[in-house]
Amino acid sequence: MPAAAHSASAPHESPVTQGTFRRAVVVGGNRIPFARTGGAYTKSSNQDMLTAALDGLIARFGLQEERIGEVAAGAVLKHSRDFNLTREAVLGSALSAETPAYDLQQACATGLETVLGLANKIKLGQIDSAIAGGVDSASDAPIAVSEGLREVLLDLNRAKSLPERLKVLSRLRPKDLAPDAPNTGEPRTGLSMGEHQALTTAQWKISREAQDEIAFNSHHNLAAAYERGFFDDLVTPYRGLSRDSNLRPDTSMEKLATLKPVFGKSLGAEATMTAGNSTPLTDGASTVLLGTEEWADARGLPKLAVVVDGEAAAVDFVHGKDGLLMAPAFAVPRLLARNGLSFEDIDFFEIHEAFAGTVLSTLAAWEDEEFGRTRLGLDGAFGKIDRAKLNVNGSSLAAGHPFAATGGRIVASLAKMLHDNGPVDGRPARGLISICAAGGQGVVAILEAYSAPEGR
Amino acid sequence: MTTEQPLILGELPSLSKLYVNAAATAARRRVLGFQAASALPHGSHEVRGVRADVANLTAYQHLIGETASDALPAGFIHALAFPVAMSVLNRDDFPLPLLGMIHLKNHVGQFRAVQFSEPLDVRSWAEDMRGHRAGTQLDVVAEVRSSDDGALLWRGVSTYLAKGVFLPGVDKAATAPAPADFTAPAPTAVWQLGVDTGRLYAAVSGDFNPIHLSLLSAKALGLPRSIAHGMYLASRALADVGSVKSEAFRWDVIFEAPVFLPARVALEIGTIHSASGSWERSDYVAWNPRSGRRHFSGSVTAL
Repeated sequence: MPAAAHSASAPHESPVTQGTFRRAVVVGGNRIPFARTGGAYTKSSNQDMLTAALDGLIARFGLQEERIGEVAAGAVLKHSRDFNLTREAVLGSALSAETPAYDLQQACATGLETVLGLANKIKLGQIDSAIAGGVDSASDAPIAVSEGLREVLLDLNRAKSLPERLKVLSRLRPKDLAPDAPNTGEPRTGLSMGEHQALTTAQWKISREAQDEIAFNSHHNLAAAYERGFFDDLVTPYRGLSRDSNLRPDTSMEKLATLKPVFGKSLGAEATMTAGNSTPLTDGASTVLLGTEEWADARGLPKLAVVVDGEAAAVDFVHGKDGLLMAPAFAVPRLLARNGLSFEDIDFFEIHEAFAGTVLSTLAAWEDEEFGRTRLGLDGAFGKIDRAKLNVNGSSLAAGHPFAATGGRIVASLAKMLHDNGPVDGRPARGLISICAAGGQGVVAILEAYSAPEGR
Repeated sequence: MTTEQPLILGELPSLSKLYVNAAATAARRRVLGFQAASALPHGSHEVRGVRADVANLTAYQHLIGETASDALPAGFIHALAFPVAMSVLNRDDFPLPLLGMIHLKNHVGQFRAVQFSEPLDVRSWAEDMRGHRAGTQLDVVAEVRSSDDGALLWRGVSTYLAKGVFLPGVDKAATAPAPADFTAPAPTAVWQLGVDTGRLYAAVSGDFNPIHLSLLSAKALGLPRSIAHGMYLASRALADVGSVKSEAFRWDVIFEAPVFLPARVALEIGTIHSASGSWERSDYVAWNPRSGRRHFSGSVTAL
């Protein structure tokens, strides 16, 4: 692995996370079940859902009237009126009104980035406690007026006399009245995320069957986790929903095989991406409670895991040769190298299933000799992960993917898995999170089961 | 309350039908003459297994300024119980004219958080008809219990005035003490209420009383303009008190000058904490920022 070190953005003499910094502990998490768009949360706003997730967290950990160091959350699809979304959710929650909050947006990596940013503040000693989160509604999405109408309205407001106003109004054309709805298209390519991934999926020659298998495992693993009660202390019911409404426990490879391709149809027979192996639009919210060891101890709260380190990467998907969602393929080798780790040191892999093809393309890149040599600067392939350690409690294909809420879902679930797992070969269990995002970005992180430092 | 068995209604009565019936009753009484009884009917009305409609709940929460949580706002429960209360006032043996009654004050006890999915039993009756310097007043009581275990979850007492109605055998009250002078404090919020405020609240609460709906319908009942529902105003004040309040609380409001729409309403909310720092009470008062007249005042108190 040391060979990958030279491709890291900045070389380090020693792992930075082992210095004198305090540890940022994941105390727990709470989310509301994720709902398919147009379902149970159709009329709920981002603020409603984020507040619901927050209030569930507050109730679970007894944080009523508590002043938290800082709360950070965000939404990808955001109304302009929600400029202070997280602070408004805090004010509507049972937390102390003296809890500061800020909004963050990094597309689908929003949730994980709030965890990393707040964990860093905790490590640096700036705050002792924090709540990270994210929310998205594809149902209650913002719709803007067209550029033409917007310009007319603004000019109308500036016009001083009636003739001036009439002149401004005369610029209005019927097409200006059509609203501007959000879409998942990339601004620079005009291709939707699914179309981008379809190209990447074909580039890495990922089969339809392999994608359907990822989807099948996701549904069955998530259903089994619910059956076991794994989510009992991670999810609070909302609006009559107590499980993710996209979950299909009874899906089968045969059923998945019957679905018609929805992305990459121009590829003809090579089109492999269906509604079954792509995530649907979803509504939902998640939160994660972070703190120092002392802060958790003082309140008798659990310490599930430690946020070890994180890394962001981006690819030139516009003019370069990398797929839109391939940034984690670069971020993970850099992160592991910086921490002196390899795939063998990881016990749980949480690779966000934007599309089954994304997961498989990323794995294929890591297993590819040429990619390892030419793109990662290694002697050969980066490595192969043990599939038995991949998304063992299901992921976004089954749970759904309310963009900014996915990071919080994964961090809280992984922290609990690491805690429940116990030590591996005498060391704390370790997990890797990988999340791809629009704009050719990716954010990845390492979590480790909490273990008391020596001498404590 | 009465010990008689309640009259069980099969479902929540339709408020629009009750208002139509009330208008018809008023007309019939005017034409045929009506010898009002000097006592209230004894019975209570009850509807069992009432469930909140979640879409309506969300619309109500957004209109009032509450976050759309799964818990029913105390004002929403009032609206849920209101048709049962109205059915009591709509009985043929109810001595006072329903239309035109003025909501003087309201008291609510919320004993625990009520989830929208819970089946509820709603019972209502009228009691304590008594004199008022301007007519006759009475209390309409509503109790909301869990259909599962019968526990009392919410209790509301609404005091109404039938203005200008003096019944034989009901003593006229002595002249009320002069109201204390009101000096407007610095506002903590200002509400902009559009002319459609009454219609919007009617849509989520079902209270289509014509005095709240439009200029014309209000004029038909002798008002210069439509007025905001008292419970809309009180519920917004409750929402503005916010999440600081405990799960169980007492919520009081006294209505004074009506809010003619459209309107700007100034509001002041003061919070009182106990020595240990926990929330004890929030007091609120609202007034017309131009005239300085007080619209309503009240408090929310930890139980």
